[in-house]
Amino acid sequence: MMTVMAPVTGTAVDLDAVPDPVFSKGLVGPGMAVEPERTAGRAVSPITGTIVKLHPHAFVVVGDDGRGVLVHLGIDTVQLRGEGFETLAAEGDRVGAGQPVVAWDPARVAAGGRSPVCAVVALDAPAEAVTTLARGPVRAGDGLFRWAWAP
Amino acid sequence: MTQRQVTVEAEVGLHARPAATFVQTAAKAPLDITIAKGSGKPVNAKSILSVLSLDVRKGDIVVIAAEGDGADEILDRLAEIASAP
Repeated sequence: MMTVMAPVTGTAVDLDAVPDPVFSKGLVGPGMAVEPERTAGRAVSPITGTIVKLHPHAFVVVGDDGRGVLVHLGIDTVQLRGEGFETLAAEGDRVGAGQPVVAWDPARVAAGGRSPVCAVVALDAPAEAVTTLARGPVRAGDGLFRWAWAP
Repeated sequence: MTQRQVTVEAEVGLHARPAATFVQTAAKAPLDITIAKGSGKPVNAKSILSVLSLDVRKGDIVVIAAEGDGADEILDRLAEIASAP
């Protein structure tokens, strides 16, 4: 069993509320999302592990048991090409749950006409492996969902 | 081993929707399927974690491989997804 934390402070919502079918239809995997508060802040690692992929707008952390969690900061934010995002760690770094990984400003993303909603996805997990822990207001580092081990 | 070599044309590379579609299609096939970036190490094409970790960008060449009955059909479909603009 693994607890996956909210990477940002805001409002926890179901993944199907994310305005991108890649996430809302669970194409990438099951999980939850956080509608971030509209102030500049830092997205933290949702689990303890190793950063295997780090883009300004998205990152993947793999825990010691091999399970990977994707944090995607905003919708279509790949188009921003890193503008407004600052990476605070590097690929290959070990991070603790709650450790800052990317600094960004959800208000700026929203001002550019994009949703800053953060999808948090359990990669390669069956939908039934994920149990929601929070809906509504959450702080970065609060438990967001639980991921049962399903090899 | 049957394989296909294609150039990834999607603007976002093999991420987001193309990656999800690719992995979902691969996962439905009853064969072991791998994908490699260029001459790199092949990884499990049915794992979204593996495919996202490959970090395939637009213009990169990928090699998709499988063995067994139906390999040609599934590889044709995967090659089409991977090379779609």
